[in-house]
Amino acid sequence: MKTLKKYILPGLASLILFAGCEDFLDKNLQGSLTQDSFPTSASDALLATNAVYSTTRNWNFNSGGFPILDVMSDDSHKGSNPNDQLPNVGPFDNFTFTTTADGLDRWWATLYEGIKRAHVVIEKVETIPMDEELKTRYIAEARFLRGLFYFDLVRAWGDVPLVTSSTPPLKLTKSDKSLIYELIVGDFIFAKDNLPLKSEYPEEELGRATQGAAKAYLAKAYLFQGDFVNAEKYALEVISSKEYSLEPDFADANSLIGENSVESIFEVGALSLEGNPGNQYANTQGVRGSPNRGWGFNRPSVDLRDSFEPDDPRKDATIIFLGETLDDVLILGDGTTPDEIKDASNNVIEIECYNQKVWIPGENTITQWGHNRRLMRYADVLLMAAEALNENDNQTDALKYLEEVRERARGGNTAILQEITETGKTALRDLILEERRHELAMEQHRFWDLVRTGKATEVLGPLGFVNGKHDYLPIPQSEVDISQGSLEQNTNWQ
Amino acid sequence: MKLVSKAIFFRYPLLVLLLMVFSASQLFAQPRTITGNVKAGDMDSPIPGATIVVKGSSKGAITDLSGNYSITASETDILQFSFIGYNQVEVIVGNQTQIDVVLEVESIGIDEIVVIGYGTVRKSDLTGAVSSVKAGDLTKITSLNPEQNLQGKVAGVQVTSTSGAPGAAPTVRIRGVGTFNNSSPIYVVDGTILNDISFLNSSDIASMEVLKDASATAIYGSRGANGVIIISTKSGDIGSGKPVFDFFSEYGIQKLTKKIDLLSGREFAIISNEIAAGSYNNVDAVPNTDWQDLVFHTAPIQNHQLSVSGGTENSRYYVGIGLFKQEGIIDKSGYERLTLKLNNSYNLTKSITFGNNLTIAPYKQENAPGVTYSVYRAQPVLEPYYSDGSYAVVYNVGNPLADLDYSNNFNTGVRGVGNVYSEINILKDLKFRSSIGIDAAYGKNKSFTPAYTIYNPDGTPSQQQNVLNDLNKERNENLNWLWENTVSYYKAFGKNNIDLVAGYTMQESSSENLKLTGNNVIRDGSDFWYILPSYILDEGNGVNTLNDIKNEVDPNLNYSMISYLFRANYTYDGKYILTSTFRRDGSSKFKKENRYGNYPSFAAGWNIGREAFMDNLEILSTLKLRGSWGMIGNEKISYNSRYSIVQSDLSTIFGLNPAVIPAASYGKSGNNELRWENTTQTDIGLEVGLLNNRLTGEFDYYNRVTDDILIDLSTPGYLGNGQGQKITYNAAKVLNYGFEFNINWREKRGDFNYSIGVLGSTIHNEVLEVGGSSGIDSVLLGGRLGNGIPVTQSRVGLPIGAYFGYKTDGIFQSTDDLAAYPHSSSAGVGDLRFVDVFEDGKINDQDRTFIGSPIPKFIFGVNLAMDYKGIDFSIDIQGQTGNKIFNGKEAVRPDPYNFEKHVFDRWTGPNTSNTEPRPSWGGYNYIPSDRFIQDGSFIRLRNVTLGYTLPISFTDKIFVDRLRVYIKGSNLLTLTKYTGYTPEIGSSEILSNGIDNGIYPVTSVYSFGINLTF
Repeated sequence: MKTLKKYILPGLASLILFAGCEDFLDKNLQGSLTQDSFPTSASDALLATNAVYSTTRNWNFNSGGFPILDVMSDDSHKGSNPNDQLPNVGPFDNFTFTTTADGLDRWWATLYEGIKRAHVVIEKVETIPMDEELKTRYIAEARFLRGLFYFDLVRAWGDVPLVTSSTPPLKLTKSDKSLIYELIVGDFIFAKDNLPLKSEYPEEELGRATQGAAKAYLAKAYLFQGDFVNAEKYALEVISSKEYSLEPDFADANSLIGENSVESIFEVGALSLEGNPGNQYANTQGVRGSPNRGWGFNRPSVDLRDSFEPDDPRKDATIIFLGETLDDVLILGDGTTPDEIKDASNNVIEIECYNQKVWIPGENTITQWGHNRRLMRYADVLLMAAEALNENDNQTDALKYLEEVRERARGGNTAILQEITETGKTALRDLILEERRHELAMEQHRFWDLVRTGKATEVLGPLGFVNGKHDYLPIPQSEVDISQGSLEQNTNWQ
Repeated sequence: MKLVSKAIFFRYPLLVLLLMVFSASQLFAQPRTITGNVKAGDMDSPIPGATIVVKGSSKGAITDLSGNYSITASETDILQFSFIGYNQVEVIVGNQTQIDVVLEVESIGIDEIVVIGYGTVRKSDLTGAVSSVKAGDLTKITSLNPEQNLQGKVAGVQVTSTSGAPGAAPTVRIRGVGTFNNSSPIYVVDGTILNDISFLNSSDIASMEVLKDASATAIYGSRGANGVIIISTKSGDIGSGKPVFDFFSEYGIQKLTKKIDLLSGREFAIISNEIAAGSYNNVDAVPNTDWQDLVFHTAPIQNHQLSVSGGTENSRYYVGIGLFKQEGIIDKSGYERLTLKLNNSYNLTKSITFGNNLTIAPYKQENAPGVTYSVYRAQPVLEPYYSDGSYAVVYNVGNPLADLDYSNNFNTGVRGVGNVYSEINILKDLKFRSSIGIDAAYGKNKSFTPAYTIYNPDGTPSQQQNVLNDLNKERNENLNWLWENTVSYYKAFGKNNIDLVAGYTMQESSSENLKLTGNNVIRDGSDFWYILPSYILDEGNGVNTLNDIKNEVDPNLNYSMISYLFRANYTYDGKYILTSTFRRDGSSKFKKENRYGNYPSFAAGWNIGREAFMDNLEILSTLKLRGSWGMIGNEKISYNSRYSIVQSDLSTIFGLNPAVIPAASYGKSGNNELRWENTTQTDIGLEVGLLNNRLTGEFDYYNRVTDDILIDLSTPGYLGNGQGQKITYNAAKVLNYGFEFNINWREKRGDFNYSIGVLGSTIHNEVLEVGGSSGIDSVLLGGRLGNGIPVTQSRVGLPIGAYFGYKTDGIFQSTDDLAAYPHSSSAGVGDLRFVDVFEDGKINDQDRTFIGSPIPKFIFGVNLAMDYKGIDFSIDIQGQTGNKIFNGKEAVRPDPYNFEKHVFDRWTGPNTSNTEPRPSWGGYNYIPSDRFIQDGSFIRLRNVTLGYTLPISFTDKIFVDRLRVYIKGSNLLTLTKYTGYTPEIGSSEILSNGIDNGIYPVTSVYSFGINLTF
């Protein structure tokens, strides 16, 4: 029995001890935080807010602009050499894409990813004890970006699921456009009421959402809903804030020099390091071949080239032509890309040329990644103001803002781009739309401008656009499949 | 390659010391001398070498050549007479001074002791499906991995090499493929539960038992679903007296089993000219480089082992030291392992035993770059060197010789696995055992690639270059401990026997990896392979530093577990057996509510042969029917699947002078509701023994259904998880069923013994459910080729990892032919005709269909052994049928590569060929189709051994108990239609099984060895 005491009892005792020790099975995640423990501090709040911006640097976010929007417009073609990405991008050029079209699912999922990141800030930062003013600013930044992502969704797809929490229910159905716009407008209003002016940010914080950006987007959101009174109101508020002005040189509105400068209202930052900090957006559209600035997609169309008024300097600042010397670099282009493509009647239907609005001086591919994509610039606001004023029957002021844009474009050469004096509402509407095309070409406005002004059928019909179908993209087929019936496919896409 | 073996010997003087300690044997004196003779009952001849032991003591003796012995014993002692293959006899000494004994031949295979989970059982009392492989069969194949020796030896077990590279672990599948996740069995080495046994020397193993059905595996609960392999290592014998030294040494040569038939330089030039006219002006003047000859060569393999074992009255010991060293048939691949094995046990008191098992295994491995693929692809018209001796450019693939030359990639490490245990007999029938086991592994990898450039003939740099030298270092540490406590109770009353085991175990596993990458190391030599801060942080040269440092846990090796286990075994009259087991496992991998899984099993056995009504059937010595049902789980999943993770490597860019600003937000979503994968297995078995068990047969039918398999499913984009993000769910189900048999004939005719064994098993593997009802995830894509194209689809009704592609039906012979069938716009005359399976008049994705299964329908083995007067000879044959191989290396052709020989039989005009399309560098004819599917059936002469044991009359004179020399060959002959190096194409990735993406060839080995016992 001695043995029993000596060996067995302590053994059994320790057994019982451990048996009760359920904590033994609690293993924490190593090396990363779990979502229930973030964000919990002021510094977490900043990280979480920055993360919403991080979505705008995701290629899938930028790919909404190109390839989808621009290639669908009359301003541009697929680009690159004829076979490169033909099955993926080609169908956007002639409206033959289907519900499984490449890129739709990525754009869709990434916009909602951005929305989720915004909700992390909106929901969680609220409860963090920290500087109240900063807290409100973070939430306003997040709401601005949420509005921005939903604005893309509603314009691209129309009715979409309305997610208002970081943990939405698994099954959702589509919500009506009007509800989506209600949220967008609410977000932009909250943002304009709570965000600093651009001039109130220190230099190193430039790139964050501002009161001006919120107002500009508010104007745009109203414009897309046909509410010209509010569109006019907020566009004029941006103008009267004196926070912004036009770059003296049109080319700088998108150039390296103009980054975060006077004309920039909202843009996506990028750094010219390969890998994480860069933005592939400019790289995919850069000059192909010699110099090797990229892959040469999203090529300006002949139609765009020919639409410019005689000697409009914006043509040359929008399109890189072969043989041109740009910032001391001779543009020779790509050996595998035909210089011209002709149709059966020998008409030139495509020429090899490139999008100058993503141009960064240099000859290697890497630096191109550092191009900041401009999402909203002052010229757009001026033209929105002009458009809204015209619709509100104030042609005098409309012409004033239109002229401001044209005057800059003129670059001091009074012989070109005559001042427009048209006061007929319909004619002026068309002139302003045409001005938007030339001022904002290749900046992903054209397709949506045509759709919202009802001109898409007339302009894009010959390219394959079908009214009532192509106004909106199809819900990505994979999303319809995963939803197991709760997401209904868009009209005429079933 | 440099030898490290000497260094290792010097580094471990401890071993030498241990050997000396255990060599000291102890002798005991006793009052009376007893002499006698031991004879064999079947031959009426003396048995030399029979063992006589005084029961319960360490005293022993061995018979001489004439079967005579002498031993001292007292009146009350009992002498035990034993010899391998004969029944043991016990005699009470009493007043006898001469005791002659006749030993009768043992009934074979029926009442051996079988090791099962947490205990042992007599084979006749076993209700589960368990197969044993004993020591002698475990060293036939000279391999680093003991599991290689199970191939073709155990019905229902498939062992497949993933690569012939030294050190590569094979995949082991027991009864089909049970899950999309890790389908490997677990190994229980002397009670310690492990996931791999690469540290274990085959020579140290006494037996391996493969537990296949639920009755046997359910006691391992959540780890038993893919089978359990129990390994017992060798030990000494209590009271065996003098120490037994075993020395074994083997040296072999490895050879490439066969070469792949590729085009010669001339043939390649002819084909090139057909693809692009004028490529070679004179096809008779082009070089003819055989890249296979340049890269593959014979290589030595050696294996040496010295062990000493024995026991005193109260202790027993086994000490082994082994060296395994294998060079690869490709330069810079080699493996070297030293194993130290130490098993001791001590009887502290009459009722307390204490012991330890320990293995320490340092190893060193050199990893060659994957040149088998480039050797296969390199154009034969290119020379390896320029006239000045420098490496010549090899277009599109890189010069494999240069790749090898510039590669420096080493793994080194040490693995220590062991346990200490104590057994206490609390009461006569009640035993308590506690064991603490540790598995500690420390691994390092270092690789260095110097800066180099291979030049084009015109002097410009080719793509094969490394602009900056790079140095990578990696450290892995794993620690896994297991504490097991069991109480066992055995009671016999009347005809009833009860055997109970209950236990409680705890286990914890942790791991950490650290990885650093540096560039611009100041000199190339290995003395400089240390990473300085400037190598990592130097941004001036444009190096992307974001991935240069990595530090994380291995998600599969970070968990803790608590388990409760129970088994009851009841037999009545040796005829009726009932077994029930139960295990409850708790794992840290799941949330509290889902943490525990319960695994019951029930089994029954009926020894019909022992019934009175069978007595008349003299021919029948054994007949047993058994059946079992049980549930088991699979916990080999990553520990973090349930967590929703914060992604902290995000960033954004702000500022007039743009700067990277850190950001973090919700990242990958986990599924907190995850549960255990659950397997239900039913087994019905029949064991038959005829003619005094000379002919034995074991037949099993099994049916395994694995449910709640963890798979990753797509989630709606509006949840915001990001593009392509999937979440793990318990959402798939797989069925495996089949029939197994194992038939053995053993006979002794005078001095001639022989045995024949035939075994086999069928496998039906079928996916029953994937993903639920949504269209998008009802298919799991896998088996990505080198170009990223997935060629396997796992979908309901098909086997796991089924090949998918176009079916071909000949070649378009003419434009009329082309017009007559639906075809892709890329197809032309002379191209393959894909079948319009979907019958919509078009060739598109919908026509991709099931074109073959990687899982064999039948696997088998045939084993022959015979011995006659010291000569022993054995042959092992093994094979499989019904599986297909996807020749992935042939299907990926983005650039002009060499071709396999059959391309020379190409289509050159109407009716010239209906199987081999017109040649092209790639494109249409290389779209995944059944063109690349080959029959994977094979029969392999796995091992032939011829040995000779020198007569004792001779060995006695040199004080050696036993001396055997042998020659053997492994993988001598393989009959297969497959054109690649080997039809054995394993993959640790379940969905990529059987795809040959350029496997390192498995070799033939010819060796010579010597066994010495003294």
